[in-house]
Amino acid sequence: MGQIHFKAKLPVHRWLAVGALLIGLATQAFGAAPYYEGKTIEVIIPFPVAGGSDIWIRTIAPYLEKNIPGSPKFNFRNIGGGRGIPGMMEFALKAKPDGHMVLVSSATNYFPVLVGDKAAKYDFRQWKPLLVNPVGGVMYASPVSGVKRVEDLAKAKNLIYGGISAIGLDLIPLISLELLELDARGVLGFSGRGHARIAFERGETNLDYQTTPAYNATVLPLIKEGKAIPLMTFGQLDDQGNIVRDPAVPDLPTVPEVYEKLKGKKPSGKFWDTYKIFMPSGFAVQKILWIKAEAPAEALRLFYAAADRLEKDKEFLTKTDKILGGYPLLRGDRLEKTIQQAFQIDAETQRFVREWVSKKYRVKFD
Amino acid sequence: MWDAALIALERFANPLHMGMLMAGVLAGTVIGILPGLGGIACVAILLPFIYTLDVNTAMILLVGSLAVVHTSDTITSVLIGTPGSAAAAATILDGHPLAKQGQAARALSAAFLSSMIGGLIGALFLTLSLPIARPLVLLFGSPELLMLCVLGLSFAGFLTGGAPLKGGLSACLGLLLGSVGAAPADAVNRYTFDQLYLLDGIPLVGVALGIFGIAEIVDLLAKGGQIAERISLGHGWLQGIKDVMQHWGIVVRGSLIGVWAGILPGIGATAGSWMAYGHVVAMARDRESFGKGDIRGVIAPESANNSVEAGDFIPTLLFSVPGGAPAAIMLGALFFYGIQPGPRMVQENLDLIFTIIWSFAIANTIGAALCLFLSPALARLTWVPFVQLAPAIVVTIFFGAFQSSEQFGDIYAMLGLGLMGWLMKQLGWPRAPFLVGFVLTKPTEQYLWLSISRYDFEWLLRPGVIVLGLLLLASIIWSVWEKRGQKKVPAEEPAEGAAVLGKAPSILFTFSILIVSAAALYEARTFPYLGAIFPMAATIPAVFMAATQLAFDLRTSSTAPGPETRAKIRTALGHFVSLLVFLLLILFFGFGIALAFCTFVFLYGVARMRWFRALIYTGSLLAAVQLMGWLLGLHWPQGILFG
Repeated sequence: MGQIHFKAKLPVHRWLAVGALLIGLATQAFGAAPYYEGKTIEVIIPFPVAGGSDIWIRTIAPYLEKNIPGSPKFNFRNIGGGRGIPGMMEFALKAKPDGHMVLVSSATNYFPVLVGDKAAKYDFRQWKPLLVNPVGGVMYASPVSGVKRVEDLAKAKNLIYGGISAIGLDLIPLISLELLELDARGVLGFSGRGHARIAFERGETNLDYQTTPAYNATVLPLIKEGKAIPLMTFGQLDDQGNIVRDPAVPDLPTVPEVYEKLKGKKPSGKFWDTYKIFMPSGFAVQKILWIKAEAPAEALRLFYAAADRLEKDKEFLTKTDKILGGYPLLRGDRLEKTIQQAFQIDAETQRFVREWVSKKYRVKFD
Repeated sequence: MWDAALIALERFANPLHMGMLMAGVLAGTVIGILPGLGGIACVAILLPFIYTLDVNTAMILLVGSLAVVHTSDTITSVLIGTPGSAAAAATILDGHPLAKQGQAARALSAAFLSSMIGGLIGALFLTLSLPIARPLVLLFGSPELLMLCVLGLSFAGFLTGGAPLKGGLSACLGLLLGSVGAAPADAVNRYTFDQLYLLDGIPLVGVALGIFGIAEIVDLLAKGGQIAERISLGHGWLQGIKDVMQHWGIVVRGSLIGVWAGILPGIGATAGSWMAYGHVVAMARDRESFGKGDIRGVIAPESANNSVEAGDFIPTLLFSVPGGAPAAIMLGALFFYGIQPGPRMVQENLDLIFTIIWSFAIANTIGAALCLFLSPALARLTWVPFVQLAPAIVVTIFFGAFQSSEQFGDIYAMLGLGLMGWLMKQLGWPRAPFLVGFVLTKPTEQYLWLSISRYDFEWLLRPGVIVLGLLLLASIIWSVWEKRGQKKVPAEEPAEGAAVLGKAPSILFTFSILIVSAAALYEARTFPYLGAIFPMAATIPAVFMAATQLAFDLRTSSTAPGPETRAKIRTALGHFVSLLVFLLLILFFGFGIALAFCTFVFLYGVARMRWFRALIYTGSLLAAVQLMGWLLGLHWPQGILFG
């Protein structure tokens, strides 16, 4: 405000403005009120209470409160349902550029954009990522299917994968099955990954995937009992955006590695293009905390500084290890390019994906 | 195993833990009483408070509240005929008529006692099944679960009362409403009319509150006076305890049904309590008193809905798969503490499991005792002129319906279904089959889908399916056999409630159902085959039944309603209009202003309260809602003009 006066008005005002500026500088120097002092930051969660993203933000929020100068209070609003679209729209329409409203998003929110769902009228380019948390996924098979090692996949017959929905996270394992040209089909309609795993244990399906934390807690015991064979991970991204081994499960090969092992050449083709587009938003940059792009630079800086401090915070790292799933909490600005790239899809690949899921899994797009 | 149980029990000697348990019980009791707010709201509301606690204390708080929600929700169901939570809707059928007969204390004490016993049996079963729980859950594949759902749906047939045709239609409408939204596996959006709100289907809370709650409130208002005549409470509550002891078999069976409904994924508390109610009607030799205030109809669902929560813990803790929505939130809370439930939980966190079991058992007992202690006083509420209670109830219902997803769609749906529920009641259509159909649509369709896409039609030959199929067949044959023997059949609604509105509205209502079913059937032709099975299964019989019913309606002799009835109908319609006005005011001015204005106008103009008393009432209500919102971090519906 002071600056506008400074430029436009009479000398008297100029003096006043200079005075104001000086006072402003002085208060800044003497530890004046930080940007979020005594403020409440409203967090829009486009999911019901206690979903993965809800737990994620509620777990890290107390640490952010401590590490953002002025100790702002986080206030959570869950706007569930409608594939997360109402919650996203609430943020898109109601968030002011003052940085007092932030948004949590997950794969559910990206895929409608990638497959061209008309109801998803939000644009990620108008927001900036504050914090990012990758998630990993591990595929495993039942020994009953004849698969004892990952190499056996090529000749395995009648593999059955249990999933929730062809245009949700299951898209990535389903694409992997096509990419690897396996004799496999997806049975969709389970109400959660846990239900799909129970079906795996019952023997109704023989191929499954779980996110890394769930894999560690519920699948590792099965592997020890010889009831499951670990196969591969979906991989993570390195700084250049290449797909590399998952640091949380470094012993398992990635899907493209398995392709090379089975086919003896680098992956290519339509399914590989699709995989490269969908895997990052599904896993490598899955959980994102957003702020409006017009928010003051100061607000963004405070979040990034908090992320830097948390990176070295022993208590934070041990307490949140299970929630973060063995992956670091990353600064949004470092990944901004990767993230914006992850939400870009060329028209041809989009048409290919839509045709493929419509034909194979009878998905009807409106 | 048993030393872990003792370690866990010792925790309750700690005053902090005991205090947390009491806090949980109190919160659960209050939330249970508030119409529409149930287990989900309870855990969601307490969740922000646990982030500063250690895992045992947090679980004590959460489980303590969860254990009593389905004890105290009975109070609203019995006294006002409005479900305290969706799972308590089954208790209304017989509990509310008992209250109207001045036997509220008896119904309440029987309900609390059977709730408590149900909860304890659930806890015991949970403990005993820990070593064998995994094989138990893995015993049932998708086809067997499908058959169980169908068995549950068949109970809807027993709830049709004296009007099997109307009952069947009502169940079909429930199925149809349940198939609104994205079909399993997202293949197709059905009947969503491009409305984002309808994508996930209509939430159960809105349906239960509308079809039973709003309908009953308007009806009570139109009748005028109080819910029950002022008669001596007598030894009503002692009678309730005697009833439970006399029908102990129902309590045990109801609890076991509840535990199973909890263990099996996707069934949940609401379906569990309806199954328990349906089973007791199906097995009873004398059915005519059900729906008119039969104490057995209170005991069965109440013993089930608490044990469901206990059963829910088994898949939640051992498989990391929540059995119901409240369990999903608990699971989230455990993740927060870095505990990922799963097979290792029994080895690594056995004491935590026992802390949960003990909290459940102790909270159950305390909660029931608390409610029992309160019941004579609460029963007196039925003597208060209803017109004075109504604003507070309506406000909490609106507030509760809005909380489930923060969408106005929930309130529209609730009001629309309220009008439909009221019409059904006036025209003698049973509403219970509607809710049973609605509740079971999702799991039935999901398991049907999974069975067919996994096994094609081979699933029909699985031994479990054949056994359950025979059981289904036997229950149908038995019911037909029973019906032959006795002419009288149970009626949900009292006889005088049938066709109050006269001939023309009756025909019109049936005709609209015919049109809706036919339109839905026509629309279903565009769905892919698996997505179409369910809407077809609901609408094809619905069209035939509606046509037959229409023929019956046309043939009945025309009896014009008397002037008194006509005045009643006018009042009721007036109340619907004022509810709509309340909604519009909320839309424009936000919840606070609308609440203040409508409450005062209603109390002053309709309830004929003196202005300063009305003002005090309005002020306290506003303050109470404000306080609740602030304390629990709930969000008020905001208006277009004022935030």
